[in-house]
Amino acid sequence: MTTSKERSSLQERAKQRTTGAFRCLSCFKRLSPPKGATHYTCPQCNYEWRVAWFTPEEPRIRGPVWDSYEQLTQDRMKGGK
Amino acid sequence: MSLSRKIAFVDLTTGKIETKPISKELRRKFLGGRGLDMYLLYKHTKPGVDPLGPDNVALISAGLLVGTLASASSRTHVGGKSPLTGYVGSANVGGFFGPEMRLAGFDHLVIRGKAEKPVYLYLHDDEIEIRDAEHLWGTDTRDVQDLIRQELADDDIQSLCIGQAGENLVKYACIRTSIKNAAGRTGIGAIWGSKNLKAVAAKGMRDIGIAQPKEALAYNKEIINQVTSAKVSKTMQKLGTPFIWGVTNSTGLVRTRNFQLNQLVNADDIEPESIEEDLVGTAGCFACQVHCRGKYFIKEGPYKGTYDEGPEYTSQGAFGAEVGCTSKNTVLVCNHLVNYYGMDNLETGSMISWAMELFEKGILTLEDTGGLDLTWGNDETVIELVHKIAKREGIGDILADSPLEAAARIGKDSERYLVHVKGMSNLHSDERPTPALALNIAVSSRGSDHLRGRPAIDLYHLPEKVLRQIYSNPIPYDGPLTSDYRDYEGKPWQVMWQEHLYSTVDCLGICKYHTVFLGPNMPAYEEWANLIRLNTGLELTPEEIYRAGERGYTLERLFNIREGMTREDDKLVDRYHDEPTPLGLPVVRGRFIDRDKFKIMVDEYYAHHEWDENGVPTREKLEALSLNTLDKSGSEPSNLV
Amino acid sequence: MEKVLVVDAHKCTGCRLCEQVCSVMHEGSVNPHRARLKIMKWEIEGEVLPMVCRQCDDPPCRDICPMGAIDKNDDTGLVQVDYDKCIGCRMCVSACPFGAMDYDVVGKKVMKCDLCGGDPQCVAFCDPAAIRFENKAKDSSNARRAAAEAARAVQSEKDR
Ligand code: SF4
Ligand code: SF4
Ligand code: SF4
Ligand SMILES: [Zn+2]
Repeated sequence: MTTSKERSSLQERAKQRTTGAFRCLSCFKRLSPPKGATHYTCPQCNYEWRVAWFTPEEPRIRGPVWDSYEQLTQDRMKGGK
Repeated sequence: MSLSRKIAFVDLTTGKIETKPISKELRRKFLGGRGLDMYLLYKHTKPGVDPLGPDNVALISAGLLVGTLASASSRTHVGGKSPLTGYVGSANVGGFFGPEMRLAGFDHLVIRGKAEKPVYLYLHDDEIEIRDAEHLWGTDTRDVQDLIRQELADDDIQSLCIGQAGENLVKYACIRTSIKNAAGRTGIGAIWGSKNLKAVAAKGMRDIGIAQPKEALAYNKEIINQVTSAKVSKTMQKLGTPFIWGVTNSTGLVRTRNFQLNQLVNADDIEPESIEEDLVGTAGCFACQVHCRGKYFIKEGPYKGTYDEGPEYTSQGAFGAEVGCTSKNTVLVCNHLVNYYGMDNLETGSMISWAMELFEKGILTLEDTGGLDLTWGNDETVIELVHKIAKREGIGDILADSPLEAAARIGKDSERYLVHVKGMSNLHSDERPTPALALNIAVSSRGSDHLRGRPAIDLYHLPEKVLRQIYSNPIPYDGPLTSDYRDYEGKPWQVMWQEHLYSTVDCLGICKYHTVFLGPNMPAYEEWANLIRLNTGLELTPEEIYRAGERGYTLERLFNIREGMTREDDKLVDRYHDEPTPLGLPVVRGRFIDRDKFKIMVDEYYAHHEWDENGVPTREKLEALSLNTLDKSGSEPSNLV
Repeated sequence: MEKVLVVDAHKCTGCRLCEQVCSVMHEGSVNPHRARLKIMKWEIEGEVLPMVCRQCDDPPCRDICPMGAIDKNDDTGLVQVDYDKCIGCRMCVSACPFGAMDYDVVGKKVMKCDLCGGDPQCVAFCDPAAIRFENKAKDSSNARRAAAEAARAVQSEKDR
């Protein structure tokens, strides 16, 4: 039989999993949009993301809201960031 | 027992077939699959062998754990000297063939020579028949499998095969099995075509014995739970590999219009969630609970109603971003066509997008293209070119050659626009903002390749603590590791670690999605030690398994060096260094790979491998891996088979 | 209440893990030809159908057996082979309308699903739940609910 020691590191790592959240692709802040939301704006960097749910509990970024994306990026680049 | 499977040497010129057992020693050293293939390739070809000549070998293998209780133990490996690059030819495929080949009694096939007329092999009950395939020549990759089942009146038969692309020696023709599984890269399909080998069919009824059945069942359940509970698996169960697009294209990491842009803007139609609307379900390879293959019917146009599987992430790039198309239908149709003809989707799309840039630059004209308008985003042209390449018609004949050969045929500075490493085209990922990923493709043993060493989890911004848990196991590592994918620090270690991991995975014959590739909390060496013991009875420590993977990878390096590769080949095309990324988020915009820092990364990478500054494995390293028992010429590893 | 294997073909991914674990459970080896169920496929059309023993109410396999080696348990509904009586004539194999009674060429015996003694391994391993272990009555009630929900959606769409 496998001992608990043999299973250790995998389970250890799995504990670090988060649910209901994704990282903002622009600033890497962890975001938890309300259940079922289709759009979400990052409070830290202002990028608005289109959101999709691959399970009822798990959101992911589907894509950018293209209209504001380019403008925000250009503003940011001018600011030298 | 599963370890009793044999190696068969098949000579298609003489019809002679010989079988040999696989010694325990060889198992402990190379495990099986890709590693052992590499050993056989090194040993059974002469330096400088013509990839499309009778002296090259076509290798087929099932990994050490194939068929056993090891979560997605489905994988078959194929190989030979690549007609695409002239270096290591090697590709991995899922589906159901590997387990069937083991059930028929074989783990490895070494096929050499050239049949006078088209043939296929039939493996069953520890026997191999060479059968006539003249009536199958010219068929596509799905019909041929069906026809073989009909001819042998057995639904259980699984086949590897080539389509028309392999017959026509398209340099990136692939090996296929089932509806969509492809051993895609390095052009192994052209090797088969050159040997008049249409297919290898298998049907087996021999037990694959399990060393500790009860314990293996219970442990396998644990591993499967671990895999299926991961977020990345849940995502793939729904969206397949296209899910990656959400991260990469939103960020600006997708090479677009060949290499002019790094993002396909307003391409909502080919987003994974949009593709998913067309899926009627998902399919799994043998014993896999991730089942990442989408099932779809084409909805419009001349192929309306045709069933196929996929598309993979690669097809979104190959028939979307790279060629500037934003139509889901084009992606789905081209995905079907490359499957049908049997050629690598990645290379096909890359060649087309390269031709489109040449067209834009005036290097190719309407006269060269036979009137085809190669403007970016021309869906009809892209579809037409897929046909022409497979049939080697018109401009398709040039594009069916390897990138470097095609550039030589076209001339006029066209080589400058190729996006390749060692003569194999890059995936549609734009690695300019991500030094780790850039290093990976530059040094990979089979040319530009994300499946040989990509630290994909580098994109996840994981905390250093988590990175350390992953990357210092089973070999301690206390050098730098950083969460920022734009850093150069610590990345060489990650690349080497992943190279050894993927090498090991391919030796074991399990699927990469069930290991540390797209998900950080996936099984790795510790779990494999348990799986190997419970399934096969072999006692190997995590470190011994790691070293076996390393041994195989080192041998690939030795093979490439034997075939003329030098440090000069471990490089990126100039555009990575000279043209900053024009689009994407601020984190990735304006990025390029710094030449000096890149050189330092390569040096560090060699040092971690214990290779010298020219990328040649040191004598000490070869001794440590017991690859030092060289023959008189000083070039051949120990003589075990 | 009798429990049986209930198949939902739409959920099946065709992975054949169930065949794999079934053969290990019973024979200690991986060999799909020794599994007690089989995944049928029509590859080019993308269709699959898991074929399992139905544990028939009136099992033809039992009825045809000249040795009376097959019986149906009154409590569990399990149709089982008594190997002490079985002579390996394979009459039951010919009689089963579903091919669920099979002949094991390695072990040289007829074989059929024994519901793994009450803990079906195919069910335990099938993540998409294409095979479930349920009361016989559930078979229809599941389908009824699915159909009713579809009809209700159309209905409320019209009402709007
Ligand atoms: S395990 Fe489930 S999904 Fe896989 S083949 Fe069996 S029934 Fe289908
Ligand atoms: S083996 Fe066939 S006949 Fe017998 S109970 Fe099962 S399905 Fe019915
Ligand atoms: S219930 Fe058990 S014996 Fe019956 S098919 Fe499933 S795994 Fe096999
Ligand atoms: Zn943000």
